[in-house]
Amino acid sequence: MFRDALRWTGTLNRRALLRGAGAVAGSLAAASALRGMPEAAQEQSAATLPSFTGPAANPHWNSVGPIVSEPQKAPLILLTDRPVQLETPRNYFTSAFTPNEAFYVRWHLDRIPNAVDLKEWRLHVEGNVSSPQSFSFGDLLRKFKAETVAAVNQCSGNSRSRLQPRVPGGQWGNGAMGNARWTGVKLRDLLNAAAMKNGSLQVQLQGLEQGEGPEGMGSRAFQKSLDLDNPAIDECLVAYAMNGEPLPMLNGFPVRLVVPGYFATYWTKCLTWIRVLDKADENFWMKTAYRIPDTPRGTTTPEAMKAGGVKTVPIGRMPVRSFLVSPDGGAKIPAGMTVNLRGIAFSGYGRVTKVEVSDDNLKSWKSVQLGEDFGAYSFRTWEFSWAPKAPGRYSVAVRATDEKGNAQPDEPVWNPAGYLWNRIERQEFVVGTAE
Amino acid sequence: MTINLRRLFAGLVAGTAIAGGVAVAQHQLGSYAAPNLGKVSQPAARELTDDSRYGAASYPTFEVGLADGAGKSETQIYCGVCHTTRYITMQPPLPAATWDAEVQKMVKTFGATIPEADAQKIAQYLHEHYTPETRKQ
Repeated sequence: MFRDALRWTGTLNRRALLRGAGAVAGSLAAASALRGMPEAAQEQSAATLPSFTGPAANPHWNSVGPIVSEPQKAPLILLTDRPVQLETPRNYFTSAFTPNEAFYVRWHLDRIPNAVDLKEWRLHVEGNVSSPQSFSFGDLLRKFKAETVAAVNQCSGNSRSRLQPRVPGGQWGNGAMGNARWTGVKLRDLLNAAAMKNGSLQVQLQGLEQGEGPEGMGSRAFQKSLDLDNPAIDECLVAYAMNGEPLPMLNGFPVRLVVPGYFATYWTKCLTWIRVLDKADENFWMKTAYRIPDTPRGTTTPEAMKAGGVKTVPIGRMPVRSFLVSPDGGAKIPAGMTVNLRGIAFSGYGRVTKVEVSDDNLKSWKSVQLGEDFGAYSFRTWEFSWAPKAPGRYSVAVRATDEKGNAQPDEPVWNPAGYLWNRIERQEFVVGTAE
Repeated sequence: MTINLRRLFAGLVAGTAIAGGVAVAQHQLGSYAAPNLGKVSQPAARELTDDSRYGAASYPTFEVGLADGAGKSETQIYCGVCHTTRYITMQPPLPAATWDAEVQKMVKTFGATIPEADAQKIAQYLHEHYTPETRKQ
């Protein structure tokens, strides 16, 4: 009979509840507690998200698309299906490494590989070199020393839906990022094997992805280039393994470039052509797209853009960020209970050395416990025991600082392409009375 | 309908032809299929063979809930040549001038072959359904 009194977890059956309460004296208190609840709250079932957000900022941690199941992937959040863009749900970010099947997906053009024949496929090193090379997948496994690095891959437009005013583009929440152990061959070893000629300036990367556009336009091919005098070149890997497994097709099988610390636009998927250039790459994806204002934090204003003359540079390293991942604020916390707050932090400029939380609107900060250090370019997990004493609404902010002294500011970022968002994140919690 | 589908089909045919100087046998590009949205089913295991071919199933495509109105079919056909029209519904409500710039970007920067009159119809359709003043769904 007491079981009847617990039925309010679903749709409340008030008559059964009262019957139960009348029969058992011990359940009277529980019944009176229930009588105080508004009918609407008792009847409420889970609402679903709207199909879009705006013109205000997206208030959700993730983007609002439906959950879909793509080949070799766990159910993820759909941004677009052709080409494929999928966001990783928040719950995957409590651990330092993101599972391959949950790793976000972002392609630019719609003809992306469903299958690759390794008997035919070769990784070409060509252009301004004395000895052009074509390596099979087996060559990469056998002929070169294997290296492994833990590195965060984050889309340049991660969190684009936070910007005010909103900008067009993939309306990512925070889940266009992931961390993996990447294993492969040093890009430098491949360049050395091809013997670059004098006057080499950049290395251009191109994968199998193609589009419907005319030859020579950005809508036909996706090409990215890095300066050869950039120290990041020596940290680049051509990765054939991701978390110790083959890459999912949607994450760039057979190999993808890994540029530790840099935004994912340079991490070419299905990498097939490594081209040494003797002059600067002027293709659309370098000259026009993926550029940021040459200002502190890459921020500017719509007015400055309209006025013209905002100098831009290619996007590069990822600014420091941190996230409170769990709990997600979806459930009330009883006052007086200690809750384990968990999250991650990273920076493209080096190790995260400090993460702090504030529950008083940034007035005071407390340092959190950092998790294992997997290297300068990895996610670093953190934990904090939080004990809200009084019922009410709380906003918990999280801020990371990296070894170069870069700390997350609370000022927003704005640029026309929606890149580089790294403002301090906040999570709302509702603390209920426990008495 | 006066829309020219030739380009769409030309694109599909080109997809199976020579790509970047590499033989057709090297890889298979752009296979998409059409399941239902909102129902996440468990995938069946794939039959694998121990040869040199590695692949995944076709990528699912989903119906897009574009608003009904004049210009919808032009929008579906021309925009759909290169990408799903979910690119439109995913966006926040955008000012009319931003939509104009997007249409112009597709034509001038990306080389979409959209006759001027149709480009205007598409822009008008976007104004009527996807600005802060007009967006409903």
